[in-house]
Amino acid sequence: MGALRRLIQTLVALGTNSYLLFPWASVIYQGPLKAVCHPGLNCYSCPGALLSCPVGAVQNFISGLRYTAPGSMPHLGAMVVGYLGFIGTLVGRLPCGWLCPFGFIQDLIHKIPSPKFNLWVPLRWVKYGVLVVMVILMPFFLLDQYGIGQPWFCKLLCPAGTMLGALPLVILKPQLWTTLGFYFWNKITILSIIVILAVLIARPFCRILCPLGAFYSLFTRMTLVQLEFNEGNCVQCRACVKVCPMGVVPHEQRDSRECIMCLKCLDACHFRALEFGLRRPLPHPREVHNPSIIQGIKNT
Amino acid sequence: MPKKAIWLVIIFTLLFVLGINTGDLDYLMNLGNTICLSCIGVG
Repeated sequence: MGALRRLIQTLVALGTNSYLLFPWASVIYQGPLKAVCHPGLNCYSCPGALLSCPVGAVQNFISGLRYTAPGSMPHLGAMVVGYLGFIGTLVGRLPCGWLCPFGFIQDLIHKIPSPKFNLWVPLRWVKYGVLVVMVILMPFFLLDQYGIGQPWFCKLLCPAGTMLGALPLVILKPQLWTTLGFYFWNKITILSIIVILAVLIARPFCRILCPLGAFYSLFTRMTLVQLEFNEGNCVQCRACVKVCPMGVVPHEQRDSRECIMCLKCLDACHFRALEFGLRRPLPHPREVHNPSIIQGIKNT
Repeated sequence: MPKKAIWLVIIFTLLFVLGINTGDLDYLMNLGNTICLSCIGVG
């Protein structure tokens, strides 16, 4: 399963960043595929990017809500919200584990040999704050002199944008150097911290800061697919806990919002205590209790 | 699949269709065709 996931991550990362004409033609791809959002975090200003970034798109829709040209309808971004909500409802955070290019990059960085550490658990709540404040509230309320908001998550924080968008563009277009200021160096600092953290801790950005992961995680309790725990088969060896990159304890936390369904735990478990498949409905209470058994107990 | 999830799938599908019919596709394509200065950190 691990090899398959690595193959899919590689194919998706390369396939969705396969515009190779940037040294000769337009510096970024400008074709019809840009009307489609990537299911993971992938900066649309990356010279190779074929698809749009969902987080950037949501922020841009929100930032334009309060400025609408006379006679035209505001763009609500319903298409992107519908698209992300549809994915989230069907598979939850599975795109984080299998499709997100920045998640894949963090996985690769974490392979660098070094002492490994666990993340302080309460930090996982920060990403919900990032989603609400930087992706929704700030683009809506902080407007410039023209009445238009800014994509503040992209501007202040996004390390994927810095790594895949800013750095390649700055190298390709040296004239951009004169326009770089506080925001660029701030993002370079954040990217450096994330890269160093990714060596020491598995997927720090996904666990602490990613607003897309936070959005998908809202649906993990009702997704079409699930990681099922068979209590009878578990011998409490904690092999699953040791391999989980997100710090989930599968036998204690059912349907964890942190689970990215990478299925490393499935590979690690030799007792078939974990299964991945379609979510089965919980049995109705009346089906659990056999009336004849209850009657027998009463008679004794 | 829980009933709540089925309702959510329907709602999100309707939102997606609504977005397409209100011009979100063109907006998104225009957005993606320009370099994101915020992503670079210009300003």
